[in-house]
Amino acid sequence: MTTIQVAGLHVRHRRTVALDSLDLGFGRGVHGLLGPNGAGKTSLIRVLATVAAPSGGRVRMLGEDIADPRGRTEVRRRLGYLPQDFGYYPGFTVREFVAYMAWLKEMPAARTPAAVERAVTRVGLADRIDVKIRTLSGGMVRRVGIAQAIVNDPAVLLLDEPTAGLDPEQRVEFRELLRELGAGSTVLVSTHLVEDVAAACTEVTLIAGGRLAYRGTPEALTALGAASDGVGDHPIERGYTAALRAHREVAAR
Amino acid sequence: MTGWHAPDRLIAGYADGSLPDADAWSLEKHLESCAACAGRVSRAVRATAAGPVLTDLRQAVLAAAPRAPAAEPRPLRAPRLLWAAAPAVRGAWLPAVLLVALGAVLLAHVADFSGARPLLLAVAPVVPVAGVALSYGRHADPLHELAASTPSAGLRLALVRTAVVLAVSLPLLTLAGVVVPSSGAPGAAAWLLPGLTLTLAALALGGWLGLRAATAVTGGGWLCAVLAPVLATPDGAVSRHLSDQLSLYVGGGAAQGGWAAAAALCAALLAVRRTAYDRLERH
Repeated sequence: MTTIQVAGLHVRHRRTVALDSLDLGFGRGVHGLLGPNGAGKTSLIRVLATVAAPSGGRVRMLGEDIADPRGRTEVRRRLGYLPQDFGYYPGFTVREFVAYMAWLKEMPAARTPAAVERAVTRVGLADRIDVKIRTLSGGMVRRVGIAQAIVNDPAVLLLDEPTAGLDPEQRVEFRELLRELGAGSTVLVSTHLVEDVAAACTEVTLIAGGRLAYRGTPEALTALGAASDGVGDHPIERGYTAALRAHREVAAR
Repeated sequence: MTGWHAPDRLIAGYADGSLPDADAWSLEKHLESCAACAGRVSRAVRATAAGPVLTDLRQAVLAAAPRAPAAEPRPLRAPRLLWAAAPAVRGAWLPAVLLVALGAVLLAHVADFSGARPLLLAVAPVVPVAGVALSYGRHADPLHELAASTPSAGLRLALVRTAVVLAVSLPLLTLAGVVVPSSGAPGAAAWLLPGLTLTLAALALGGWLGLRAATAVTGGGWLCAVLAPVLATPDGAVSRHLSDQLSLYVGGGAAQGGWAAAAALCAALLAVRRTAYDRLERH
């Protein structure tokens, strides 16, 4: 079942085009969003997070049109979003921060304290729950960001570069969490780390220059890498560069 | 670390059980120290017939495991959350409010300045407006990117924060006004309606201009309207002129009635334009 349906999506930043008539659909599972810097990954995620307004096109999520304010509010209750950068109030502990986000997400007050503890435990920060966020390392702050995103058990989870700043062991644990979350909801993960996609995603979407360049399973992308002469150390990296090159050749024509 | 990784052939053999024992042991030894290969092996095994069995087993174990006795989740400290409801209250704005209130009192009682009340009345309406500017939006709230993706985003959150700003500034400044001798200026509470109206006007205008510009227009507009005529008169009796000017704007029933009507109008405008707040951000 498709939970996110994007049709003819256009996003412009002043004069530059970030997304150019993009048509995409996402269902339950973990979707890897790959692409070079400036490809439009963050633009797409911010539109889906209902933070940025698209300059054209339609987005339906969870059966609602997000251009309609009422539908948007419905979607936001069931949304989890981790931006590339996020701020926090310096005096806040992990628990207070995640609880405040739960309040903003209009979770029932009675359920909030338990949900906060569960989310923080799932990202492996249970022992730091009453520590001020500003004393945590970059990777831990990133995990606090993931905790606030999942605190309301979102039906749609949007993660922009979630593994940036995580060490290898944490990344392995995070992928496990991703697989768990993908079983029940639609998870969209933008990343530069192709290995993350290979390990945790059920589907790969590659965008370049604001357009769709490739869609398929990680296995298919790996097979593409094996069959072609893409550069890279890992088979799926070779698939990534091969798909990108093929897309650019078509686009240049 | 040798940089050696198990070739695919070895992993495939391990997964389907065709690898000789000795090779399997040495591979297992390697896996203890190499997460990358361990991941590959685990994927390869999951792809075989053992995969579904492993999944079922895992589910069964998880289902059978006794739930860890959930420690009673700690209740949240409500005041902290309220505090968070208004970023302005934690920033430079609160000291500024205190400075205005205390400054007026000190000017009147320590420096014996007769124009303290008019000065306070002239500045006070701008204080909540500035508080609103510092409460909502990307420039003011470090949490904005996250807050904007929640159902509370938009006018609702802006209003909650405005309420906190008003709850802090109205009593403080009115109290200061009561303590300061009147010296011909309107009453200490005369600024309340203008302050409320300017705040609502800033919120209403914010739907078009963005909050920052809207607060600059309303706050700056008020200050110009009060101070410009005073500064334009050359004879130096600043405090008397200020008193006259304020009496004209906020003294008396007619002026206050006018402010009340303007407040109602701004509130109505805000209600009509409520969705403008949600997505102020355009590319």
